[in-house]
Amino acid sequence: MNKAGRVFSRNQRVYSPSAILMNLTVYPLIVLWTLLGILLFPPAFLGWKLVTRWDADRIMRHFIWIYGRVWMLILSPFVRFERQGLDQKALATPAVLVVNHLSFFDTYCMAMLPVFDISFAVRAWPFKMFFYAFFMRLASYLDVESFTYTQSLQAGDQVFRKGGSVLFFPEGHRSRTGDLQRFYSGAFRMAVESKIPVVPLCITGTDTLLPPGRYWLQPAKIVLRALPAVSPSRFEGPAAHILMRKEVKQMMTENLEELRG
Amino acid sequence: MTDQEIIELVNSSLAEEFELELADMTAETTIYDDLGLDSLDTVDMVIVLEGAFSFKIREEEAIREIRTLGDIHAFVIGKKRQLEAGL
Repeated sequence: MNKAGRVFSRNQRVYSPSAILMNLTVYPLIVLWTLLGILLFPPAFLGWKLVTRWDADRIMRHFIWIYGRVWMLILSPFVRFERQGLDQKALATPAVLVVNHLSFFDTYCMAMLPVFDISFAVRAWPFKMFFYAFFMRLASYLDVESFTYTQSLQAGDQVFRKGGSVLFFPEGHRSRTGDLQRFYSGAFRMAVESKIPVVPLCITGTDTLLPPGRYWLQPAKIVLRALPAVSPSRFEGPAAHILMRKEVKQMMTENLEELRG
Repeated sequence: MTDQEIIELVNSSLAEEFELELADMTAETTIYDDLGLDSLDTVDMVIVLEGAFSFKIREEEAIREIRTLGDIHAFVIGKKRQLEAGL
């Protein structure tokens, strides 16, 4: 739904004046903001470090969150963002955050979260984007495709010990249909082995904004809903992570159906 | 259980666990490239097979050599026959 209340579907390509204006303005502004961010980064990083004395990865994660917030600001004339259940007090931290995956924009929409100290668990290919790779490594993002499971678990533990959270897209890939795909187990094994709760997140609308395989942006309403945290202590035995994965997926399926009406 | 029944139970258990299409599952299907499983999935696969066949296989070295569904079928059939013979 755009601001005028019209509903667009993921399969519709809209060439309305607002969509044309959106494509003419959003992409240049995002490129400009990215370049500006890279230029401003060194002095901002040093200044932040001197003032806060935070660890480098925490500062970087904060900067990435701010970077995402500005993306949202750039998109805001054309996109309505709605947060549900994202009360900072209700959102358990540290946590293993799991979110469904619909679009390239999903990662930037994680700036809708009220917390910034999040390390993303990502596949190997984003680390090949030279303009992002340095920052992702500095933020201690988890390269789950290149790491062994033990390395991922240790990296996750380091993030949890400092009070941060780790975010997974458990489907591994963007959904081409909008339906949840099968969930990989990594996030749930990490939660069970590190004794950290899983907070399921459901996102809708980013596949209308920019579905996989397209470059044409279109106005959308994006909803990010946090579901109640799921404690790993409720699951026992060697199949604990499998049971947890199935329960979380069921919760997300029901909530996504509700969000899509 | 006949060999065919074991193969069908292996396939249906894995299809349910990993949301796979039974039609895509042949003996030649590779578990990593064709089915898209990762190393953590193989741990889950062992748990699922243990549940389906009521045996313990997680310590078996031969599991590390599994590459195709046919390898899994042969491994499970061998294990079942071994248990039936009381070995």
